[in-house]
Amino acid sequence: MSFTRRFMLRATGAAIGGALALASTGAAFAQGAGPIKVGILHSLSGTMAISETTLKDVMLMLIEEQNKKGGLLGRKLEPVVVDPASNWPLFAEKARELIAKDKVAATFGCWTSVSRKSVLPVFEELNSILFYPVQYEGEESSRNIFYTGAAPNQQAIPAVDYLMENEKVQRWVLAGTDYVYPRTTNRILEAYLKSKGVKQEDIMINYTPFGHSDWQTIVANIKKFGSAGKKTAVVSTINGDANVPFYKELGNAGIKATDIPVVAFSVGEEELAGIDTKPLVGHLAAWNYFQSVDNPINKEFIAKWRAFTKNAKRVTNDPMEAHVIGFNMWVKAVEKAGTIDSDAVIDAMIGVSVPNLTGGYSTMMPNHHITKPVLIGEVQADGQFNTVWQTSGLVVGDEWSDYLEGSKDLIADWRKPLSCGNFNVATGKCGGAAK
Amino acid sequence: MNPATDRLIDTRGYIFLAVLSAAAVLVPILTLVIPDESAFAMPPYLVALFGKYLCFALLAVALDLVWGYCGILSLGHGAFFALGGYAMGMYLMRQIGTRGVYAHPVLPDFMVFLNWKELPVAWWGFQSFPYAMAMVLLIPGLLAFIFGWLAFRSRVTGVYLSIITQAMTYALMLAFFRNDMGFGGNNGLTDFKDLLGFNVQATETRVALFVASCIALGGGYLVARAVVTSKFGKVVIAIRDAESRTRFLGYRVETYKLAVFVLSAMMAGLAGALYVPQVGIINPGEFSPANSIEAVIWVAVGGRGTLVGAALGAFMVNWGKTFFTGALPEYWLFALGGLFVLVTLFMPKGVIGLIDQYKVRRASKKPTAEG
Amino acid sequence: MTRYAQGRAPARVQAISLQSQARNRFIETFSLLLAAAFVLMAALLIAPKARAQSPTDVLTYLTTDRFPDTERALNEIGTSGLATAPQIVEALAANRLLFDAAARKLYFADESGALFDAATGAPAAGISPDDLKRVRLNNAVRRSLNAARGALTLMSPDPARRRAAAEAVFKSRDASALPLVESALEKESTPAIRKKLEEARAAIIAADASAPEARRLESLETLKERGDQDALGTLATIAAASEGRVKTSAEAGVAAIQSRLAMWRNVQNVWYGLSLGSVLLLAAIGLAITFGVMGVINMAHGEMVMLGAYTTFVVQEWARTNHPELMNYSLFIAIPLAFLVTGAVGIFIERVVIRFLYGRPLETLLATFGISLILQQAVRTIFGANNREVSAPAFMSGSFDFGALSIGYGRMWIIVFAMAVFAALLFVLRATSFGLRMRAVTQNRRMASSMGIDTNRIDALAFGLGSGIAGMAGVALSQIDNVSPNLGQSYIIDSFMVVVFGGVGNLWGTLLGALTLGVANKFLEPVAGAVLGKILLLVFIILFIQKRPRGLFALKGRAVEA
Repeated sequence: MSFTRRFMLRATGAAIGGALALASTGAAFAQGAGPIKVGILHSLSGTMAISETTLKDVMLMLIEEQNKKGGLLGRKLEPVVVDPASNWPLFAEKARELIAKDKVAATFGCWTSVSRKSVLPVFEELNSILFYPVQYEGEESSRNIFYTGAAPNQQAIPAVDYLMENEKVQRWVLAGTDYVYPRTTNRILEAYLKSKGVKQEDIMINYTPFGHSDWQTIVANIKKFGSAGKKTAVVSTINGDANVPFYKELGNAGIKATDIPVVAFSVGEEELAGIDTKPLVGHLAAWNYFQSVDNPINKEFIAKWRAFTKNAKRVTNDPMEAHVIGFNMWVKAVEKAGTIDSDAVIDAMIGVSVPNLTGGYSTMMPNHHITKPVLIGEVQADGQFNTVWQTSGLVVGDEWSDYLEGSKDLIADWRKPLSCGNFNVATGKCGGAAK
Repeated sequence: MNPATDRLIDTRGYIFLAVLSAAAVLVPILTLVIPDESAFAMPPYLVALFGKYLCFALLAVALDLVWGYCGILSLGHGAFFALGGYAMGMYLMRQIGTRGVYAHPVLPDFMVFLNWKELPVAWWGFQSFPYAMAMVLLIPGLLAFIFGWLAFRSRVTGVYLSIITQAMTYALMLAFFRNDMGFGGNNGLTDFKDLLGFNVQATETRVALFVASCIALGGGYLVARAVVTSKFGKVVIAIRDAESRTRFLGYRVETYKLAVFVLSAMMAGLAGALYVPQVGIINPGEFSPANSIEAVIWVAVGGRGTLVGAALGAFMVNWGKTFFTGALPEYWLFALGGLFVLVTLFMPKGVIGLIDQYKVRRASKKPTAEG
Repeated sequence: MTRYAQGRAPARVQAISLQSQARNRFIETFSLLLAAAFVLMAALLIAPKARAQSPTDVLTYLTTDRFPDTERALNEIGTSGLATAPQIVEALAANRLLFDAAARKLYFADESGALFDAATGAPAAGISPDDLKRVRLNNAVRRSLNAARGALTLMSPDPARRRAAAEAVFKSRDASALPLVESALEKESTPAIRKKLEEARAAIIAADASAPEARRLESLETLKERGDQDALGTLATIAAASEGRVKTSAEAGVAAIQSRLAMWRNVQNVWYGLSLGSVLLLAAIGLAITFGVMGVINMAHGEMVMLGAYTTFVVQEWARTNHPELMNYSLFIAIPLAFLVTGAVGIFIERVVIRFLYGRPLETLLATFGISLILQQAVRTIFGANNREVSAPAFMSGSFDFGALSIGYGRMWIIVFAMAVFAALLFVLRATSFGLRMRAVTQNRRMASSMGIDTNRIDALAFGLGSGIAGMAGVALSQIDNVSPNLGQSYIIDSFMVVVFGGVGNLWGTLLGALTLGVANKFLEPVAGAVLGKILLLVFIILFIQKRPRGLFALKGRAVEA
């Protein structure tokens, strides 16, 4: 690894101050020839490794496949994997390293909102491209970020609609981990439910810390809240790690999906792989992709994934699909632009349309979010989801929610001449953050 | 034993300060003056990186002051660092003004987004730089004072003290994670624009922050050095070595400990304040007990009770982390973990101790060679 | 701003732009109208069929792959006179009901996988299950299914199933099940199940607006006597749906149950607190040996717990593939194995690293922190970063009622296990020669050595003992928490708090500390919330240590200054 050695030398050189001359014998990396580098910025250690390691693997597989097809623009793709270790300032540092030192053409990475917030200024400053594959709270649109995960309207609102119509739910528990995604989603849902005539006393909101493991009290409260004679459901934005003990406690407390269904936005096949799902049959999740989706393109993907990971039981999930879509979109945009130059690719991205794994096409919209179908699935005894409802068409990711006071007048459109991430349609002005 | 240790600046100190001054002079030249194409040019991202290391080094020096010289093993120094960082972060947030995504003149974005109507009292005054800088020192200082006043007076020592400092930073982490606290919850504070009117992302500002960090580290070192070489410092070292005896000699042990602890917390707060604009984010993760333990490890790696060693250790461990997370992303924890084990086993006095040992061996060899 | 893209063609999607907001709103409204019209049409098409209830219709409904049809079939199957109805319902519940969409034929499979024609119950020859699709379930269908099964199994010879059936009828309050309940009541001899059946009958009658008022009021009393969360829900529903005396009586019932439950809530908090306390105890008790007794600040303690949990996972994987009959006993294999595995790892660590660091407690902190990083990453490399599934054996699943309190078997056994481990450890320390030697070494190493005790060996074994106990705790924790490389991290700080709060070097202190913190947490949580509750406890510990700098039970004498 010559680049690392040089970096090491340069680093030491600069530390000592004067000795730099010895070190930087090489000129800056030539970008014209050689492989195109693709950054992979997912935590491989620390608390988020549970979720993010898989995404690193899927990226490696996609890049390998693209290389088998002859690479991109006649050049090979080369993955550059770094470990930001679930440490948010380290995300920013590693992003800077990928862009400035490794000169990657695009980066695929981040899971938590805070990691994205941490790297956002770096991508904007150095004008590079990030593909962000996870469902998130919205309220953001950066010129340099493409959001391939779901915005709240592509996940939360359809799920609530489903419960209201099909399960006749009248009472709602909004349970979440105390961070920005659940806070925002619950705020949006609260406004939405009230607009549908749900009364304040029929909504219970509960926040728990990260990694909360003792759910006895909260599950008992949910049970109590659910015995008021109205059909009750739990909308869970509980984050990754805390879900296993939560579901285990639900099972222990004998709360069945037929009594109080739980619909989750952060529980996918990967999370269920760590739980015995037999007591959980019928609880729901809303995503834009399920491994159980029955079509040839998904089957092929699953087969390839299992071959790549050499694990015949390996599951797939929604953020993986988002990376597949994002990567294919990027490849297409680079081909369209004929260059890996950030500005050209960013412009070329809008309108690019690629097949998603649910059998349709996803398109990059001018707000840097994509169109997706919304699927509601019920947990099965084998840890998979059974799709019980699906939107008839595709839903466009809505970056600025209509249900939040601060953002209802904002839109994002990165096409010229507007080129703005937070255009206020009421005042006709582009807000401060946009360049 | 060694008369040199009584001087304000010993040989080691001269070398350390010389390196720092050289860096403070050369880095701006290499980054700003020399054209980018030149082989001697220093890429801007390295400036931010080394700036960050300097802040960690200052934290390590602060920690070494209490641990190495006063025997207080604080597993909660990250809390003071983070509080200083938050004070700076709040100033930077207030500077954004209408340039936030919601263009709200007063409220930071995350408050608009969570539908807050008014600025919480804790945020008042942070638009003023002098006020914010005062808070950078005062808040960690005050927390250290209250905590230390309670703990030292009731003679909580040893592992008990270490564990409750850990409880302190853990409690603060949980508190800052709460969105209701009004400090941005898990996301913390980010998306900064200006510092004193200069764009924080501009290379010039980064270089200026780098130089400021050099000065802060040098200053922090001198202050710590002044403390430990003074008469006051002798008492502090006596407390480390035999607390009860010092008390029986008539010294008010808790007062000495408290003074050193507060001073150290303020230095840590300053380090945090310089850290935040350079990395661009501050969030509750900085309070996590593992971060504080890591800071202790920097000091141990460099050499406890040497000050220069602490800074050196911070630099080495963090540089190693940067290097290994890029070069061996899937195995770097083995390297880091292994390093900690090996250092404690084979280098009980850290890198500086190793150097000293080498010197001693050379010195002892010479006479035998001559004789 | 919400926008819906109707087509999948990129060109159309692109056409949507800022200027066409209004049009998009129109499209959105239009598509809703269109959907409504479609639903109406579908309803009209289905409506004529709905009147017919011949057995074949019921079977046809099950072959449309639409949930509402499946639900309808279930509602009608009981009265359809179909001979195979019980088998069909059972097969559906077990996910073994299959259909041929083209031929509109329904089949069910038995446990061995053999296919039968659902209409006749005759074996279906020459049909491969691969050509058939499964009849799918959703929650609405599952509810109908439970009701149908409830009605069909009220007379089952198995008492447990009769009981479950009565509960299902209680929950569904399906008026059509009333005659079945009545006839079941006549035959039922077990008092507990009779009571359940009476409650089910009461729920049906009380909710039935056409029943005579006197009977409804009487039924409400029965519900009130039941007095649990489910009865509360039923009464609340009835109160909302009725008028006059029934309403007032139902409301009075709601109030009575609520005040009863409020009293039980304190008992519940104590129980939850004991349960949390026993988890803390399990996590901390190994640390009470390595840290409390030996003075090693063992940051790798959490990783020992994690290794124990992974041992459980490995044992279960082995049992699942090789000896499925052992799955229910997997924990009994895992407990001693986890003790041995983590104990061995502990002894290895002690021999290689820690023995060089005695008397330097703070250095042990650094070295063990490094070890914890290595162990975490090692597990991540071997098992992957994802959570691993550890299932609960049958005896740990489910719950039983104690008054108004629902007690999970899992939690209960964890408390029992924690107490057993504590007792065993106490026994080892107090009543065995190894325990005596160990206490001698920790109290005065040089003196013990002069008395001929091999201190090196005792150190290694003691560290192994502490680690082994952590491993056993991991087996228990695998039942309630994630089995992931981060498992240990989430318990390490709490464990230190417990040991320090209880008093270093005192096992009773650890026990009392764990239970106190557990119960206090559970009483604070409903008032202050989970996060604030925990912060308050941490602040309390910090202040408590000021008052008693050596914890609840301080060691006295010379050992203190060592």
